[in-house]
Amino acid sequence: MTQQKRNPMICPTCRMVMNYHADKLIAPTTREEFARMHRVLGGVVEEMHTCPGCGGGASRPSE
Amino acid sequence: MDGNRPLYIPVILGTVRKGRMSEHAAKLVAAEVAKRPGVETDLIDISRLPLPIDDAGEGVKDAGYSKKMNRADALVIVSPEYNHGYSGLLKHVLDSCLKEYIHKAAGVVGVSAGPFGGSRGIQDLLPVLRELGLVTIFWDVNFSSVQNVFGEDGLLKDTSYIRRIDKFLKELIWMAKTLRYGREQVAAE
Repeated sequence: MTQQKRNPMICPTCRMVMNYHADKLIAPTTREEFARMHRVLGGVVEEMHTCPGCGGGASRPSE
Repeated sequence: MDGNRPLYIPVILGTVRKGRMSEHAAKLVAAEVAKRPGVETDLIDISRLPLPIDDAGEGVKDAGYSKKMNRADALVIVSPEYNHGYSGLLKHVLDSCLKEYIHKAAGVVGVSAGPFGGSRGIQDLLPVLRELGLVTIFWDVNFSSVQNVFGEDGLLKDTSYIRRIDKFLKELIWMAKTLRYGREQVAAE
């Protein structure tokens, strides 16, 4: 089961379940990000979510 | 999806150079964006953003700029050509955000004093926009010989540009609507 199904992101503004629409590979710049760096993909993977109610965006590290 | 929510398409003036003619181009494009029903805009002048230059990337993020990028459905970037590239300070500003740009549309307006309308600067900018997560459109606006396009008062002398801007904005708005639908309704695999 994906993180999105187990633990969907909730919009902090309108409390709707947000839509998980992208994974973005981000070049690490901090020690914490270097520690989370995916060895094969070569960066930190961040999940991108958007609220269908208000259009607000949010993200979190991918598991 | 709330179909009544207006699109937000800010215009970024991507130069701080004194006497910049790109300001006339940016104001013209912003005025044309503002004429579209259901679209809101702002002119973001990068010379007004208080970004420090002793750090880079998200370490220099400006809260106001970040908020506008988070709200944006699409961006118009007005960029003059500097020695066949775009301005370093524009890169500095663009790099200050990342997550805010994902799956949003971008169109580029090139400006130059010569005959190529900033096209070499645009070509340099495209791979950067792609890596930032933006989706570029296939229409540009190219202001060639910009000193002849605008009067000293900043008013447009060559009205043929209005038709070009219209085509550019129609494509940008289509992409903005499509990507908004995707961000809000289409789940990643």
